[in-house]
Amino acid sequence: MSEQTQGVFPKGPGKTYGLMELVKGTSPMVDKGPEDTVTSWPHLLLLEVLAILGTTVLLLFMSLLNAPLREFANPDVTENPAKAAWYFMNLQEMLLHMDPALAGIIIPGLMVIALMAIPYFDRSKQDVGIWFASKKGRAIALWSAIYTTVWLIALILFDEYIRVRSLVSEPEILPGWIIPIAVIGGLSGLLYLIIRRWRPSTREALIGFFTAFVVTYFLLIISGLFFRGLGMHLTVPWDLPPGALSF
Amino acid sequence: MLNKSSITRFLTQNRVWQSIFRQGYPDTEENRAKVIVNTLFFHIHPVKVKKHSLKISYTWGMGVISAFLFLVLVVTGVWLMFFYAPSVERAYADIQNMETTITFGMLLRNMHRWAAHLMVLTVFLHMCRVFFTGGHKHPREFNWVIGVMLWVVTILLSYTGYLLPWDQLAYWAVTVGTNIAGVTPLIGEQVRLLLLGAKEVGPEALVRFYALHMWLFPLVMFIFIGVHFWRIRKDGGLSSPLESAEVEQGEQQSE
Repeated sequence: MSEQTQGVFPKGPGKTYGLMELVKGTSPMVDKGPEDTVTSWPHLLLLEVLAILGTTVLLLFMSLLNAPLREFANPDVTENPAKAAWYFMNLQEMLLHMDPALAGIIIPGLMVIALMAIPYFDRSKQDVGIWFASKKGRAIALWSAIYTTVWLIALILFDEYIRVRSLVSEPEILPGWIIPIAVIGGLSGLLYLIIRRWRPSTREALIGFFTAFVVTYFLLIISGLFFRGLGMHLTVPWDLPPGALSF
Repeated sequence: MLNKSSITRFLTQNRVWQSIFRQGYPDTEENRAKVIVNTLFFHIHPVKVKKHSLKISYTWGMGVISAFLFLVLVVTGVWLMFFYAPSVERAYADIQNMETTITFGMLLRNMHRWAAHLMVLTVFLHMCRVFFTGGHKHPREFNWVIGVMLWVVTILLSYTGYLLPWDQLAYWAVTVGTNIAGVTPLIGEQVRLLLLGAKEVGPEALVRFYALHMWLFPLVMFIFIGVHFWRIRKDGGLSSPLESAEVEQGEQQSE
């Protein structure tokens, strides 16, 4: 036992434990006295039971609606439109605008890797536990969402009614790869320039980009699922052919 | 009071009850700790939790709800397995039978379907919650990575189940999906062949998707959920603003 600890932890014959070492750093519960915590029984367990019961009730009500079952699978009758499950409609929407390898594999693959990499870049613990980090973070998230929504709708409408391919179709690498990558890169760069006006921390800047990702994720699902009819052309939800809602 | 009622005494003051429940009714701090530690199904919880992590507006319960939906899917899924054979000849008719002749068949199929869709949504929302509250930061980096993988596995589970009814919706959705997989640079054709076991979506694909949906992906899911929960405990529970306060204190001390 070192001199440093002798006064704090006196040797006692009745003790079955001893101080082995002092190390720097804190354990997860250090300084969180009893005033910060409550017993899991009943406080946490009660909330869990409520969440479970609520989900069960919701699920039972949803189950009043029957799961779809269409005609027997027939490889000779192509569905029009042929849609993937709803949570893939964002990928299928992207397929309309760029090379399939880029839309279906490369972008989603890079997105998953980028998501996994976030915590290794976002290292400051300054604002843990606070929704959107700060007032600034909330403003960035809001403006990023508006920015992304406006651009996505504009791009979808542009590619439907004016069509990139009717302007530039040769060589294939231009409409398939170069233009989409340039648009995505350019708009991300512009978003970063806008976010920088707030002088954000790393986390606040990442909040801007993550918000753009979430908005894109959902908007492309909505557009692909509810607004794509025959031949995957834009239409209004009430004019969709049967089978276009792939739930 | 509860301990004094004669019915309670009759039920609890005997060797059988006390061999199952090793502590009294959890109305004291000691018994509340014991009930968590002594019970397999409770002991994934800590004895005490931060007040902050109980705020509904903090978590929206998305993690618990996702895990519960997975449990619902396992239970209803096993039940559906009783009445389903993954062959092109039988699959579609089995689903029709489920809907028309089997008691509660329609209800269980509906529950399975909607729970799957809900889970795809709640897992994604859970991920958004964790990011926007900074729950992905040190020391929780790797648990975030596992969470992203759980999201991917959830989608794969839902997608492999989508083919099994063998109707037009399933057939063409899987055709579209595997065509996307087929354009993977360099190894596209091989990936597609691996998934489908043939050039087109057919009986081989049905068996493969069945095996992935019933066995491989649920197993991966169970293991990853286990690690995910374990690490929540090891990383000090849910994130909270107390941690950033701690950082500030530490910085002041080191100055």
